[in-house]
Amino acid sequence: MTIAHSSSSRPESLPPWVRRGLPALALAAIILTPFATGGKFHFHIAIMVCLGAMAASGLTVIAWVGQLSLAHGAFVGLGAYTSTLIVMRLGAPFFVGPLAAAVLVGVTAAAIGTPLLRLRGVYFVLITFALNELFRLVMLEIPSISGGSSGIPNIPPASFGSLILSSKSDFYVLALICLAGVMLTLWLIHRGLIGQRFAAIEENIALAEASGIPTARMQALAFIIGSSIAGFTGALMAHYIGFISPETFGFQLSVAYIVMLVVGGRLALCGALTGAIFLTPLPELLRGAVEYQHIFYGIALIVVLQFLPEGLVSLPTRLTNIGRSK
Amino acid sequence: MGFLISQSLVNGIILGTLYLLMSIGFTLVFGIMRVVNFAHGEFYMLGAFAAFFMVTLFQLPYVVALGLSFGGAIFLGAVIERIVFRPFRGDELSGMIASIGLAMILQNLALIAFSPDPMAMPSLASGAFRFGFLIVPKSRLLALGASAGILSLFYLFLMYTRTGRALRALVQDQEIAAAYGVRIELMYPLGFGLGVGLAAIAGAMMAPLFGVSPFIGETPLLKAFIVVILGGLGSIPGAVLASLLLGLIESFTSTFVSASAADIVVFALVVVVLLIRPSGLLGQEDA
Repeated sequence: MTIAHSSSSRPESLPPWVRRGLPALALAAIILTPFATGGKFHFHIAIMVCLGAMAASGLTVIAWVGQLSLAHGAFVGLGAYTSTLIVMRLGAPFFVGPLAAAVLVGVTAAAIGTPLLRLRGVYFVLITFALNELFRLVMLEIPSISGGSSGIPNIPPASFGSLILSSKSDFYVLALICLAGVMLTLWLIHRGLIGQRFAAIEENIALAEASGIPTARMQALAFIIGSSIAGFTGALMAHYIGFISPETFGFQLSVAYIVMLVVGGRLALCGALTGAIFLTPLPELLRGAVEYQHIFYGIALIVVLQFLPEGLVSLPTRLTNIGRSK
Repeated sequence: MGFLISQSLVNGIILGTLYLLMSIGFTLVFGIMRVVNFAHGEFYMLGAFAAFFMVTLFQLPYVVALGLSFGGAIFLGAVIERIVFRPFRGDELSGMIASIGLAMILQNLALIAFSPDPMAMPSLASGAFRFGFLIVPKSRLLALGASAGILSLFYLFLMYTRTGRALRALVQDQEIAAAYGVRIELMYPLGFGLGVGLAAIAGAMMAPLFGVSPFIGETPLLKAFIVVILGGLGSIPGAVLASLLLGLIESFTSTFVSASAADIVVFALVVVVLLIRPSGLLGQEDA
């Protein structure tokens, strides 16, 4: 069930500035592309990449303790509804929305996390699947809050005082900042003591428990952090798209995040980001042929699982290793 | 009131039997291969399409169509087991994720090949039987009888043939089974093929009742999920109990409350069962 993730500790043939510099350069190029072309459409794709990467990074944190959540779409949805209702019904300023969404989703995750996380492996996947479905069904049943199957339209765009981020290029800047914040959070967790504890649990939970790591509390912590990130992302998504309905946050959305996570790299710091960068633009390029896009996703998922179980992020290391062994 | 209760009881039992046929293959595949097969519903859909085309296009008798879609699914399943699932033996999580990928591929291939519009299949029987004040549509009764027949045959196969015994041994303990000469290289593809074959035959049986479209796989997948969670992953007696329970709960709640309330009650029950007894009502205690 666990996948060895020690490849980063192997000696590398490339000097460190090349190994770190090249991806950073590529990332900078990708980030700046929409500004260079100036196309609305490119900004839209870039924003969707940011939002996908953020939500899927939440899954990364949960994957660090060895769990795979199929309820991620529901948490994104809970965040989206929280922010929408706070801003539209209570008239709160925009910035309150995503923060309240992160807090409320975090509290929810804390409340249900402890009993849920007693289950591991496929059982955890099954219960989160059931919860995701339950969320969708319950939301459809309370149209006074959720808008029912017709959803809530005309959600106001993100704004700070008189600065309204209604254009795509403005919102992209906000999305980039938030993504940077999420990645920074992940990096801090990953390199700290908590990250080591997470890794110990992922590798061997019995041994971790025996070594004095409070495994139940650590797993709950990972679940809370990961789900809060999902809630925060959902809030941004609602204000960007301007429309939400319970159907938006079904099984398909949870699966989409899992595809990004697995294709990019389940445990790598930048795995979800890599997955989002490679997979999000695809539907836009294959417009009018959604079927082919999903077939491609399916094949990518199986091929990556079989031949590159550590995801696309492990490709450079793999290639240099092959090059060296010649 | 007495009428409503007995009619709900009958509807619940019919529904439960149909759910059992939809989910028995799912639990078999998990029992043998430890794979939670998210593509189960897609094989149901393929079975429905196969029967639909054989009956409407080639004018084959319905029973032949049933047999051919069952056989075709076993073959397809065995091939897929070799290509897709083989590298993930012993890795439940990766096998499950791979099955999500497989489901996406199969459903969208069907969308390209068959277009998303639902198609109606001619009913095999019309009218209804009346037992006193109870009303049972003949088509449902036929599906009930055929399902019960298929399930009994499958039960006899599992209990009294060499291959069936080998499959049951694999469900109990793979290593010991292998040590006693069960040929895993043969039994894994066969087990997966049989599991999805049962899904396909369920699809072929339900096609005249519910119509055919590339999306019809979602319902049986959901029901199979619920049944195996309630009954215990991999437990066949558990699946029987849970299917009937599910059918009865749905039938009674939708009669006395509403159809959407039935879904919520069922999912809430699933969450409660998973929390209190993760291995299900009759599952092995290994979760």
